[in-house]
Amino acid sequence: MNLHPRLKWLPITFLALVLACILGFLYIKTRGYDSSRYYETVVLLRQLKQLDAHWELDVFRSRMGIETSYDSLVDPLVSLTQLRERLQTVVADQPANDRGPLLRMSDAYTRAVEEKTRLIEHFKSHNAVLHNSLAFLPTAADDVEKSIIRNSADGSRHPTSLEGGVNHALLNSLIYSQVPTEDQANDIQRDLADLRREAGEMPQPVRNSIDIFCAHVQTVLREQPAVNALLNGIAAVPTASRLDEFDSRLAKGQRDADSLMQTYRKDLFIFAAGLAGLLLYVGVKLIRSHAIIQRVNHELVAANETLEQRVQERTRELRETQSELVATARQAGMAEIATNVLHNVGNVLNSVNVSADLISTRLRESKVPRLADAARLITDHTHDLAQFLTQDERGKHFPGYFDKIATALSAERTALVEEIHNLTKGIDHIREIVATQQSHAGTTCLVEPVQVGDLLEDALRMNAASVARRQVAVSKDCSDVPTVLLDKHLILQILINLIANALQAMDGVVDRAHRLTLKAQARSGEEGPRLCIEVEDTGEGIASDNLPRLFTHGFTTRKSGHGFGLHSCALAARAMGGRIAAQSLGSGQGATFTLDLPLNEVPVSPGSVNHSDGAEVDTMHVPTTVAAH
Amino acid sequence: MKYGRLVVLLGLYGFLGLSQWAAAAPLNEPIKPLPAVANQDPARVVLGRQLFHDPRLSANGRVSCASCHRADHGGADAGVRSVGFAGQATGVNAPTVLNAALNFRQFWNGRADTLEQQVNMVIQNPVEMGSVWADVVRKVSQDESYGRAFRAAYPEGVTPNTIQNAIASYERTLLTPNSRFDRYLRGDTNAISTREKAGYLKFKQYGCIACHQGVNVGGNMFQKFGVMGDYFAARGESTEADLGRYLVTREPADEHVFKVPSLRNVALTAPYFHDGSAKTLDAAVDVMFRYQLGRVASLEDKAAIIQFLNTLTGDVGGKL
Repeated sequence: MNLHPRLKWLPITFLALVLACILGFLYIKTRGYDSSRYYETVVLLRQLKQLDAHWELDVFRSRMGIETSYDSLVDPLVSLTQLRERLQTVVADQPANDRGPLLRMSDAYTRAVEEKTRLIEHFKSHNAVLHNSLAFLPTAADDVEKSIIRNSADGSRHPTSLEGGVNHALLNSLIYSQVPTEDQANDIQRDLADLRREAGEMPQPVRNSIDIFCAHVQTVLREQPAVNALLNGIAAVPTASRLDEFDSRLAKGQRDADSLMQTYRKDLFIFAAGLAGLLLYVGVKLIRSHAIIQRVNHELVAANETLEQRVQERTRELRETQSELVATARQAGMAEIATNVLHNVGNVLNSVNVSADLISTRLRESKVPRLADAARLITDHTHDLAQFLTQDERGKHFPGYFDKIATALSAERTALVEEIHNLTKGIDHIREIVATQQSHAGTTCLVEPVQVGDLLEDALRMNAASVARRQVAVSKDCSDVPTVLLDKHLILQILINLIANALQAMDGVVDRAHRLTLKAQARSGEEGPRLCIEVEDTGEGIASDNLPRLFTHGFTTRKSGHGFGLHSCALAARAMGGRIAAQSLGSGQGATFTLDLPLNEVPVSPGSVNHSDGAEVDTMHVPTTVAAH
Repeated sequence: MKYGRLVVLLGLYGFLGLSQWAAAAPLNEPIKPLPAVANQDPARVVLGRQLFHDPRLSANGRVSCASCHRADHGGADAGVRSVGFAGQATGVNAPTVLNAALNFRQFWNGRADTLEQQVNMVIQNPVEMGSVWADVVRKVSQDESYGRAFRAAYPEGVTPNTIQNAIASYERTLLTPNSRFDRYLRGDTNAISTREKAGYLKFKQYGCIACHQGVNVGGNMFQKFGVMGDYFAARGESTEADLGRYLVTREPADEHVFKVPSLRNVALTAPYFHDGSAKTLDAAVDVMFRYQLGRVASLEDKAAIIQFLNTLTGDVGGKL
């Protein structure tokens, strides 16, 4: 697998996420069913059932007369209502599929409770009446008896058939109140009919008391079955069974939820076991890879140690090599400098040579031997010197001859002095080159006020021999150039090089005139005032391929060239803050080298007009042509 | 011998002390003393009291709850029927508001299960207050002091429900404890006279107790008016209200069935019955004997019973 490291984690992260999701899902599922809710509901249902049972029990206690107030039949209503409302909320909380049936069940229960409430209301009314009448019956019978006695003619107490009838009816009614049967009721009705018939013959008070007695017996007859029916009805109201249904439905739901939860628990267990297995596997893997890592680590540590030793060795070797290289480079540098110096010195030596040649030629052609001849003639004629000088043909020419010799010797001396001056200049230049190279390899600039014309002149003179040998027409133009501050020797070195190159370039050219043009002019460029010196030749030119490499060290197109000249020129130009450029239209088209330097004009102060004689300054403005002798 | 007498005397003393203690225990009677007032939110009670006396609850601002449930008349109306907001007579005699919280249903025919429902029905009753809830809520809300009090007492502010609840909360405090009979029930055997005790005995013996029992001496069941005789035929001028609970359940068996009224403070709440037909307690007791018990009571017994009924008057003052 050649995956991106981050992509490699993607499937693992995804897998972990999926596992976590499954775990969370199972956990929620096992936790989701809150059985305490179910048990709360069960408690609620039990409370309802208990309340219901108590209610029913109190109905029977009221019926038996044990409970004398109906508050106990009324009070549960409030609690029942509250508990029923709680049951409604329980139903509302159930899952949607259980809610429907449970709602129906709770509604059925509510209806049952309402029915029961209604029956109990009726029970209370009827039971109160029945109770009163039953309780009053013996008293009413007594009242009848008393009124009979009170109203009998003689005031004595004689049992009459009427009394018997009343007692019979009373007894039957009491039996009826315990065991109400249809027959008994009919019996009592017959008793009452008899009583009323008999009462018709009795005085009004007796009739009244019998009426009251009969009314109450009738009430018992009416109310007893009603109360019994109500009691049966109350007992038959299926409140408890409705609650049981509700309970069983809930229990079923709970069981289902429980078994579902068990399933989820099992799943969770299996999943957890799987996870544990995975963990174990990963653990074993981890331990193994840990061992491998440990081993590799050891190896690496060992390798690292040897590596370090080797690195130290190498470093030492490298350091040695480097110091060697540095030494070599220094030597190479020194060699380059030496080459440079020698090259420049060589250039100057040319002119020194020329001067020396000139001097030796002059000396060879000197008129001094003639003077010696004249002296010998005079010595020969010492005895007749006067005669010789006046009489002898040759002696008569002597004064004039001496005069001529003196003149010639004087001219000779002047020329020699001049030539020696040039020679000294060349030697000075050589010394300067050497001194310059010795002090910081030519980087220091010894700036002095310079006449550019003089410079060009000096440079030409130093190449004068070559110029003469090659029959080159030289033209020089340095108009408009003021006296500037320059390192004279660096400029001279550059110009000598450029002129030497130009002359050499014209060696192979036979089909056209050899012309060397030197131009100097002041210009204002973007970088401030500039001094431009151009050296133009009509030589073989530069191939365009070579132009870019022209100033690199060691580049040459000549068999005997070193490739130092132009390079050192470029270095010198850069040392003065300038640059050097070459232009050529191509092979055989000649070339122009342009030296571009910052122009630092000499501040003109009234005190120092010029250090040199005015004649030379004047000639500088006249284009001169130096031709060969 | 002398010591022996002393021992007997001491024993007698001890027995008397014991019996004294035994007498101080609550009596187990069908009638129970009033319970303490259930805890109510004081802010709501104050609000309810204000509303109870506020005629703005009626459509034209003529009548308040207190117009018919009069403080000077045992929480009931002195007239046979009360006069509604528009001057019309109500269907039945206004029952007392005192101890009404202890009645298992409200109204003569028990058509309201709670005091709140009772308030709701009276305020909207076209004869009694004739209001529309929207108007009542608007009028109450416009009163800044009500607005503040409601916001303090109810998070939801002024609504029909909160108005009903406030009044009901107030009414739940209107219990009349400390009647002489309650003191007797709590064990103060000297709280009522011998004649009054005899009256209570008669009250039980004649069967009045069959319906007038429990903590409110009634008010916990329905009963047909005229069990032992046709009261309405004898009275004549049958009205719709005479149908009683039938108007609620439409069951023929519920014709002329009414809630058994509480007999607490009965001495203060004349006239009696739903139709206000009995101007005096004496007359009411007569009707009860004739039509409910179907019995004839001696004048003595009746007087004793009336004397007993007078002991049921509790502390009323200052609450309404």
